[in-house]
Amino acid sequence: MARFHPLKVTDVRRETRDAVVVTLRPRDEDVALFDFTQGQYLTFRRDFDGEELRRSYSICAGRDEGCLKVGIKRVDGGAFSTWVNESLAPGDELEAMPPMGKFFAPLDETAARQYLGFAGGSGITPVLSIIKTTLAREPKARFTLVYSNRQINTIMFREELEDLKNLYLGRFSVIHVLEQEGQEIDLFTGRIDAEKMSGLFTHWLDAKAIDMAFICGPEPMMLAIAQSLRDHGLRDDQIKFELFASGQQGRAKTRAVSKSATVPGTGVQATVTLDGATRSFEMARGGETILDAAIAAKLDAPYSCKAGVCSTCRCKVLEGEVEMAVNHALEDYEVRAGYVLSCQAMPISERVVVTYDE
Amino acid sequence: MSETMSIEDYLAQGGVLSAPENVPARYRGELLRLMSSFVDSELAASAGFADSINFAPAIKERIAASRITLEKADHAERVLAVMAGFGTDVLRYQASHDWSARLDRDTDLGTARAGTDNRLAVLHYPINGWIDAVVMNVLQGLATGVQMTELTRVSYAPLAEVFREIAPREARHADLGLEGLERICATSEGRAEAALSVAYWRPRVAATFGVAGSGRFETLRKFGLRHHPNEALLSRWAALADERLVAVGL
Repeated sequence: MARFHPLKVTDVRRETRDAVVVTLRPRDEDVALFDFTQGQYLTFRRDFDGEELRRSYSICAGRDEGCLKVGIKRVDGGAFSTWVNESLAPGDELEAMPPMGKFFAPLDETAARQYLGFAGGSGITPVLSIIKTTLAREPKARFTLVYSNRQINTIMFREELEDLKNLYLGRFSVIHVLEQEGQEIDLFTGRIDAEKMSGLFTHWLDAKAIDMAFICGPEPMMLAIAQSLRDHGLRDDQIKFELFASGQQGRAKTRAVSKSATVPGTGVQATVTLDGATRSFEMARGGETILDAAIAAKLDAPYSCKAGVCSTCRCKVLEGEVEMAVNHALEDYEVRAGYVLSCQAMPISERVVVTYDE
Repeated sequence: MSETMSIEDYLAQGGVLSAPENVPARYRGELLRLMSSFVDSELAASAGFADSINFAPAIKERIAASRITLEKADHAERVLAVMAGFGTDVLRYQASHDWSARLDRDTDLGTARAGTDNRLAVLHYPINGWIDAVVMNVLQGLATGVQMTELTRVSYAPLAEVFREIAPREARHADLGLEGLERICATSEGRAEAALSVAYWRPRVAATFGVAGSGRFETLRKFGLRHHPNEALLSRWAALADERLVAVGL
């Protein structure tokens, strides 16, 4: 299981009014662990009022920059992003897991490939890492970025992208699409949808020449772009996606604590939700797991190993208390949030309410 | 077009997920079930084929069987690595089942799951000698080829990528089987024995496609984990199997 390691904050730079770029340094002994591939992300954890929050942010540094950098945009109501934007300072420590993610394509320094990147808002962070690394390590590569934002002053890395255009003259170009500001070319105003994509392919982009496309942004934008790329002949293996940070599932609140006392030997009233349907039934106390009881009640609950190893059968306890015989798959913070392996979980309260849907 | 949408709508419209962190709970369960079924099936297939190495009549066949044994284990390892991202304890997982265990040849499981692992039912039946191994490998290999057209499109991008790497090698396994079957069917005795094995394996491989009108298929389709119903895949496989078997005189 991946472990968390401390990273020292060496710089916090304001990028736009509501986004910062944080530079981080691992401990000497962790340097190899944090050697990343372009387009990967870091998962951070921090306690907020006793509840552990985990948030993933893409690395925006190129592989040759010799440091770790993440861009963090403040999300309304987002505890972690607000804290980073308002309170994080050089010298602080953040806990992070080693870089993860598969949002990249293998590089080949002899290739002369044409890349196309699409970024919406803070979706630029992994794409920026890919652009910098690719242009540096594939001297014949060309990269076009289509970058969508609300307005000019919310564009992250605007200056850095300009610098890259100058550094890689003729190899790197940027098309800014702005939702709320008119531009000289109408096509570059508004949101990226199917219509705009066909306009881009008609006037600005040659679909046949593209070897690989990267997309990171809000879900509707990614769907529209992916569909258009497929319509223009790109194969699935030529399109790489990274889901926008807003798509991350919020972590659950701490679980409700059992109010009813245990009376040994009696049956348990169990309520199980799966695919939006809720079923209540009586199950034995002791000797029968929640998974077996759910299956006996004709629920098609997911499971595989039944040995507490694979975590396919994970469910969440909303009410009541259960005990797991073994747990080799769930981490402590998941257990604290109420998750259990249903193949190992037996109720110890009179009533138990679980769901596979959360 | 609004700026955001629910992850369920996104998936239903063909969206792709990229990391364990952005996977909804129900999706997670079905994705892990799909992955573990593949891992268990590959490990069981590899374990089954290990015995076939010693049934092989000549070096060429011995190498083919060794290669299938090796690569199926390798494919299991690659998918297991994707499961690890969701918390699966990989080392314990590999040791949690007896992958070479088989039931009686006369058992009739249908599409039911048996034992404690999640392998396809067909991989619970024992192989009877070299010709039987080749026939099973051809029929199941063609079935895997059909299943791969679904698996390479699953909406969890890191898994789809692994399947795209695996698919051509799985196709090669079926090709190796077809080459072997061609040699077997060059003689009338070989052809007669192969026909018996086809009769045994064909309904059992057909059952791996699951039942028609499956309720779970709808759930999986909504999640972008499946695209074509069981019955469509089954009929594609049946047509493909007919074509290949006729070509070798079966």
